[in-house]
Amino acid sequence: MNERPETLRSGYRGYIGSRPVLGSRIPQHVQNLVIRDYAARSGLTFKLSATEYAMPHCYMMLEQVLAELPGLDGMIAYTLFMLPERRGRRQEIYRRILDTGACLHTAVEGLVLASEADIGRLEDIWSVQQALTHMAPVRF
Amino acid sequence: MTPSFDFLTAEERALGDRFRRDGFIVAPAEDRAALDAIRDLMVGLARHRLGMDEGAERPDPPGRLLDRIGDVVPVEELNAFRLAMIGGMNAQPWLRAAYFSVARRTLSAIVGSELCMQRRVNLSIQLPDDDSSLLPVHADTWSGDSPFEVVLWIPLVDCHGSKSMFLLPPGPNAELERNLHRFAARSVDEMFAAIEPDLTWMDVPYGHFLLFNQNLAHGNRVNREADARWSMNCRFKGVFTPYADKKLGEFFEPITLRPASRIGLDYEMPAGFHE
Repeated sequence: MNERPETLRSGYRGYIGSRPVLGSRIPQHVQNLVIRDYAARSGLTFKLSATEYAMPHCYMMLEQVLAELPGLDGMIAYTLFMLPERRGRRQEIYRRILDTGACLHTAVEGLVLASEADIGRLEDIWSVQQALTHMAPVRF
Repeated sequence: MTPSFDFLTAEERALGDRFRRDGFIVAPAEDRAALDAIRDLMVGLARHRLGMDEGAERPDPPGRLLDRIGDVVPVEELNAFRLAMIGGMNAQPWLRAAYFSVARRTLSAIVGSELCMQRRVNLSIQLPDDDSSLLPVHADTWSGDSPFEVVLWIPLVDCHGSKSMFLLPPGPNAELERNLHRFAARSVDEMFAAIEPDLTWMDVPYGHFLLFNQNLAHGNRVNREADARWSMNCRFKGVFTPYADKKLGEFFEPITLRPASRIGLDYEMPAGFHE
């Protein structure tokens, strides 16, 4: 991990989406409200969110935020489940975040990726969720 | 469908029968040291919050401060005090593992070996004669919990009578659910009055845990005992059972994934074939 002087970093970039997440559409202003509230409660400086494009499997805005990370303390995604579905692609994103000395917060879940040790926790949740997605839905 | 109990041990079958018949199990803590550590943590947090750190002498038994918390925390400050306790206890990285160990074998018998656990343990404090912290009769499934969840309820003081909680047994509960729509225009108190004769009040002394079926109606009433109730609660469910509004990640987290499941979750079919 590259250690960078704190003075060169400023704030946490929000990351919201314009596609449904796990089958649910969340209005963008609601996503921003959740991120702002999370940042305020966690004492993080919030910077205006980047909005991912609507095309399926497109992560161009995420790429832009990742490129910006050397100048940021980190990013706050609305939810963990906005990250790419492909495990290898997620692993690459975790690696890039950690390598720049930044961290990833997910506002809905309140999860943090700040070190290597956090990857397993995030991936356990992701992989179980993916397995559940393949199961028949149950109505209560 | 007739459940196949033939593969269960006698102990698992007995526990399962009891849970399905009564809707709950009260049993001694399976890891008493872990429970005592949790109670000591809460006493320490309370003393710190109340500025009692400097008084090194602790002549009373550890649970005495909890029982008598109403002497030093007025009702109007109770919720802020409770939230501070919840924040403090959940900040301890060992808390959830200790909490789980208090009923690990029973959870395995009732729920399964691959479990999800609620990410934040809850705390209730109910002062004597205080009506500000009541939980009216309800079933968790009525407000967004999956029927596959159970609640592990652990008192930090002796809980009995109105200092404890009530649960409607499965038989009367089935009748309540059949008739629930008849209460649509009536109050929750009327519902309570209708089911009161059938309620079971949980007698759970310190050193024990209560595991209950949260699909059954339950709640509490004004604590008419002399001392305060302190109880913690946390939900568990099978990792691969259906979720309702309490989602994986934001509310639940896998805690005991086994190797075969990890291997399965990691598995990818060979690709690259084309017609």
